[in-house]
Amino acid sequence: MLIRISLVALALSGAFLPLSAARATGLATCDSGSRESWQPQEKLTAMLKDMGWQVRRIKEDGGCYEVYALNEKGERVEAYFHPRTLAPVPTGSKDHKG
Amino acid sequence: MSAEVRVWDPLLRIAHWTLVASILAAWITADVKLDAAKRAHEWVGYAALAVIALRLGWGWIGPRYARFRQFVRSPAQTLGYARALIASAEPRYIGHNPLGGWAVVALIALTAAAGLSGWLSVTDRFWGVKWVQELHEALGNALYFLVGLHLAGVVFTSWRHRENLVLAMLTGRKQAPRPGDVD
Repeated sequence: MLIRISLVALALSGAFLPLSAARATGLATCDSGSRESWQPQEKLTAMLKDMGWQVRRIKEDGGCYEVYALNEKGERVEAYFHPRTLAPVPTGSKDHKG
Repeated sequence: MSAEVRVWDPLLRIAHWTLVASILAAWITADVKLDAAKRAHEWVGYAALAVIALRLGWGWIGPRYARFRQFVRSPAQTLGYARALIASAEPRYIGHNPLGGWAVVALIALTAAAGLSGWLSVTDRFWGVKWVQELHEALGNALYFLVGLHLAGVVFTSWRHRENLVLAMLTGRKQAPRPGDVD
């Protein structure tokens, strides 16, 4: 019994071994086509600045622009925008058309 | 049934398995971008930091085998142990062996660093700051690597000395000292 418990414990711990498997699980995905059709990140930054946001980082995630910022109220936000239209993408959307 | 001695006290064992659970939960929730997963990831990080604070205090005032002074050996002693290991002549330790002791120190340090950098990454000041996010990820990956090394060490040492060390961390008991063992 105790041996079985320790085997289970070991097996659970062994789940660590496959290091950090790359798991692409974005909050949203965008149907954004080829990169040439995308608007530059600078334009998104400028747009959000006009809204009173303080943009900290823009990454690409699931074909969307993923923005880390403090919004106009100074709250921490992580928001998604469509790279072609720069329209906000609600989190949870799949293949958002923009 | 051979004689046994109590080595790992209950608080040490609870701290160990709570850390295992938090690190496992942090790993599972790391890349899941659901609000619930993010919140869980944050809270298991805080839990791990709390356990580490407790463990550090216990390392000073706790029972004998929980104390850092008991198991953190000098570089010379550790190197000597590593040499003996290569020659398959390493002695059995009642507490942590020198390499195991350093694994404990490194695991605690990396878990603390991963937890603190994660904490930093959700403050207003460092929110969305690239180097903080990348540092947190790198520390997390280094931690998982070290966990793998720790497990390999546990399995190897268990096999070498015919003693189930995972079970020992659950029951707190180890086989009584035999001639040649190091206390």
